[in-house]
Amino acid sequence: MTTTDKLAGTPISRRQLLQGSALLGVAAFLAACGTKGTASAAPSTAASTAASPAPSVAAASGATAGASASASAAASATAQPTATPSTTLKWANWTYYMDISADGKTHPTLDAFTTKYGTKIDYEEVIDDNENFFGKIQPALQANQDTGWDIITMTDWMAARLIRLGWVQSFNLANMPNFVANLKDNYKNVGWDPDGTHHAPWQSGMTGIGFDQNVTGAVTSLAALFTADPRWVGKVDMLTEMRDTIGLAMLHLGLDPTNPTRDACDKAVAALNQAKSDGIIRGFKGNAYAKDLRESAAVLTMAWSGDMIQVLTDTAKNKKLDIKFNVADEGGMLWTDNSMIPNGAQHKGTAEMLIDWYYIPENAALVEDYVNYICPCKGADVALKKIDPAVASNPLIFPPDATMAKLKIFGPLNEADEKYFNEQFATVLGVG
Amino acid sequence: MGTFLKRHHWITPLALLAPGGLWLLVFYVYPAFQMFLASLWSGSLETGYTLSLDNWVNYPNSLAKYAPFFLRSIVYAAAATTTTFLIAYPLAYTIAFKGGRYKNLLLFLVVAPFFTSFLLRTFSWQVILGDDGPVLGLLKTIHLLPETFRVLATPMAVIAGITYNFLPFMTLPVYVALEKVDFRLVEAARDLYAGPWRPGGAIVGGIVGGVLLGVLGIVFNGSAILFALAGAAVGALIFHFLVSESFIRVTFPLSVSGVFAGGLLTFIPAIGDYINAELLGNPGTNMIGNVIQNKFLTQNDYPIASTLSFILMAGVLVVVTIYARVLGTEELSAAAARA
Repeated sequence: MTTTDKLAGTPISRRQLLQGSALLGVAAFLAACGTKGTASAAPSTAASTAASPAPSVAAASGATAGASASASAAASATAQPTATPSTTLKWANWTYYMDISADGKTHPTLDAFTTKYGTKIDYEEVIDDNENFFGKIQPALQANQDTGWDIITMTDWMAARLIRLGWVQSFNLANMPNFVANLKDNYKNVGWDPDGTHHAPWQSGMTGIGFDQNVTGAVTSLAALFTADPRWVGKVDMLTEMRDTIGLAMLHLGLDPTNPTRDACDKAVAALNQAKSDGIIRGFKGNAYAKDLRESAAVLTMAWSGDMIQVLTDTAKNKKLDIKFNVADEGGMLWTDNSMIPNGAQHKGTAEMLIDWYYIPENAALVEDYVNYICPCKGADVALKKIDPAVASNPLIFPPDATMAKLKIFGPLNEADEKYFNEQFATVLGVG
Repeated sequence: MGTFLKRHHWITPLALLAPGGLWLLVFYVYPAFQMFLASLWSGSLETGYTLSLDNWVNYPNSLAKYAPFFLRSIVYAAAATTTTFLIAYPLAYTIAFKGGRYKNLLLFLVVAPFFTSFLLRTFSWQVILGDDGPVLGLLKTIHLLPETFRVLATPMAVIAGITYNFLPFMTLPVYVALEKVDFRLVEAARDLYAGPWRPGGAIVGGIVGGVLLGVLGIVFNGSAILFALAGAAVGALIFHFLVSESFIRVTFPLSVSGVFAGGLLTFIPAIGDYINAELLGNPGTNMIGNVIQNKFLTQNDYPIASTLSFILMAGVLVVVTIYARVLGTEELSAAAARA
């Protein structure tokens, strides 16, 4: 079964799946307000090393301390991690984010890890919303307790928040030779994790522009989203994700989303409000923009590459529609979901080994063949060519270097700025 | 046991109330109290919250800042409740008096859509109201509507969605009230020379229709006068031909209790609804529910979100109290009895 088949049955993606669900919202709220906060604004690295008492981890790294230096020196595609694997491990991830066997019952790459190292992995697809999951793990982290998870997978901005709070641990890179060797360069040197040892990118997506070329002609500039052209006025969708919409607006204005300032935010918000009052924008959508695009309710829209793969496949034979996806000349946004090890994790060493496991290109290729987002691992496309050349050559899954160079990762925001950005964006959405 | 219960006769009602009472205590009173405390917090998710009575300013500040959203919610909910009434009353009347042996089937059909989820039903309205959907697409093809005309992403769509979603909440109570009406009373009224309601009906109908559509016209920036005139004409015609004196003086007063209940059951959930505005509206049609959702889930601003929820609750209480005064069943039936 291909990803295409799998996704066809789920018109609402995992990202949007439960955003409209009031019940979960209430649950998140109750979970979040059940505990009183205790201030913890310690610098991330200091706090994370101080707050990692897990005895098994200490034992694991202690037992192999001697071997680690030589292993990391010999890091290569076939390098071996050095920790002693634990018997169990718990990983929280999003749905449809891991390769699945033909019968849909097992995850082959996880099974291979179990076979090799003897670790039984409790892999659970429990994350459907960043804030929601944050609400679940926050009480434990705040109390310096084990969350129960060894690996959690969070989107950039939430990853940045967790690092800022000092709630995730720094990797022992000796256990992660493939991660060191194969992480693509775009993902390095992010502002919110300067030494790059607190997060490992799992999957990425691009935010660009989608359009119906039959109606709009070729669109290569973000300026189109802000221009009251009769061909698309009132038929433009933008995204409800603050960092995507503000980010693209900043790029349109020649501002730098990798270093988001309040001044840049104000300008972006002004441009968006102008586009709204000019009647250009039809609405701010989650994944529903894809539906609008298929039904011609929108002919030009901000769009995520993962969704657009599906839209392009579905509309390929429809002569009325000529849907295209572009990363505009001014640039596009790159978002990433990242694997991290929360404080208090019981099996840190093994968690590092498992994260590293997916930086072996052959394993990354197997995941990619199912997931169809952008892979952060070098060489995965080469490995995938052997098993599924069509996916390996899809520019939305393995974007060419020229495209990758245009993508920007939204920069870090401190808490006060994040609040400011969200409040300003709420006025754009018409809820503030 | 029997004598024990007889001696302590207050135990039985208390025991019967206990399950519901406990349920409300645990799942309503306690969370509501927590939320009230949250409305007096200051701080953030990351730094933690501190409770202080000084934060009462959250209330006037939020009310001032979000007044337009409260107002819009009241207008939309009132419009939807009115429309629901206009559709549900004739429906319930027909089922109650003309339904005959199809009564149960018809009632089932009213409730049938509720076997599907609220979200799904609202999504399906996106299809129905779509720019090139079955309705507008057809009207555009035969050039009755201009190409650029649309209903989706307008206030009209939001109100239509709410109206549809809450229709049974109005229909069922009205039906129950009408069902209880003793038709012999209507026959008695006719015996006492209650005939067609003319010319009074046309005048009342004209005024009601004119006011209703006139308000709609103002709300949607249309031409109020044109809307009012159209409404007056339709209202007058309907009342002139369809409304009899026996209906106005007997049947309707006897059904007011159902209208009252239906109005509450529609208005209260409608004013807090955010799904219809989110799925059918545009950024200019968001209701207070959308603001609260954004505050809770996107901005994690629990204090302000809780404050807004409490203001909404208080607002609903005020509106409902006024409503009960105006349309309170006892006063009205008493007045009808005097007339």
